[in-house]
Amino acid sequence: MNKKIHCILQILTVLIIGTQYAISADLVQDEIVSELLKDKNYTRPCVNTGYNYKDTKYRTIRLTIIADINSEKDVYEGQTVYFESVDDVYLNRKRILKKGDFIPARVETIIKSGMNGIPASIIFGNFKINNIEPRQLEDTYEVFGQDRSLWVFPLKWALTPLPPTGSLTNFIKGGRAKLKTNEIIELKFYPHR
Amino acid sequence: MKKIMLLLILMIIPSYALAVTDEEIIQEQSIQSHINDTGSRILNANKIEQRVAFVYDKTEKQSLLKIDPSLTDRQVVLYSGNYKFIQNDDELAAFLSRGILYAMKSYRGFFNGYLSALQIKAAPKKFEIVADKRAVDFMVNAGYDPIGLITFIQKSCPQKRFDRFSNKNLTSKRLAVIYEYIYMKYPYFLENNKYFENEHYQNFLLTSVNNRRMLLNKIKSGSKEELDYE
Repeated sequence: MNKKIHCILQILTVLIIGTQYAISADLVQDEIVSELLKDKNYTRPCVNTGYNYKDTKYRTIRLTIIADINSEKDVYEGQTVYFESVDDVYLNRKRILKKGDFIPARVETIIKSGMNGIPASIIFGNFKINNIEPRQLEDTYEVFGQDRSLWVFPLKWALTPLPPTGSLTNFIKGGRAKLKTNEIIELKFYPHR
Repeated sequence: MKKIMLLLILMIIPSYALAVTDEEIIQEQSIQSHINDTGSRILNANKIEQRVAFVYDKTEKQSLLKIDPSLTDRQVVLYSGNYKFIQNDDELAAFLSRGILYAMKSYRGFFNGYLSALQIKAAPKKFEIVADKRAVDFMVNAGYDPIGLITFIQKSCPQKRFDRFSNKNLTSKRLAVIYEYIYMKYPYFLENNKYFENEHYQNFLLTSVNNRRMLLNKIKSGSKEELDYE
């Protein structure tokens, strides 16, 4: 009797597993995941839900980029760029960042310059500084090109009564976003978060 | 007898109408409270120091003549036309995160951000992609799954006919850019994809075969070129 029940159970198990395989075979597969990401065991990105804004005092970390960067030249999203610390940074009398330390960051997004003088911009993110947790640091830093829309929009409106001259301002492009090695950027560091 | 009946009917109708209105108000309050909680969590988790308010609006969609309130009033308005596409917290966070980015932009730049708002209005296509990408970051920092942005857009945004001569990007292009961004920055969510068997995500996979093939070739070849998605 027990054997019969055992046998029935085995058949049912095979049927259930077989059905599941049949269903998963019907699903559209993602070849990027199956070819490139499978079994890589990535860790879940940091979640910043344990915030505490009782003390919002911050100090600035001054950095310079180690090689010039230009939004229209040899730059791509995901590129790793390096910054250099301009000063020593102390926390509770302990030095947490030494002058001249290299800090890797990533080019997160590049916004190309647009019509009507809209400037380009580069968003840097994922700054990695030893002894500082990501949640204690400003998330991103954006560098803008020259904003010509400040005078292009008024010009466009002034020319609108004389069509199609107003539309000609569409061809005026905004400035490129550049960051040179001698330009200092400031990142906010919130030690109490 | 007739008079009594009429009186009874007159007494019942207003109380019934009031009950319905109360129910609607409670339902709206519940939606509003959920939106506030999700929105504030995104703001806090991303250390966003600008004030942004969240509003649920019962009207179907924004009037064509009205400028996006995220830019003018710094408030993210969720119209019922969008809300009906939202099925979970990830998708709600996706919608709000995009709006937060616009509201943030309107704080920066000349004339208290007025010029930035004008720029977004003048070049919506460019900033649409930026908002999608930053929304992914906001969602991840706040503990939401960014694949929710893909399923939300897949369901709610129709596919335009043209890309070049339109002030909006093709939805398929936006989805491909978001997918690429998640692949590059947060591959964890693709490797451990809880949406894999979701019907809308499956539909995205079905309709994005060519774009994903382009991305696969780009990754394999090590190219850094920006892809021209279909």
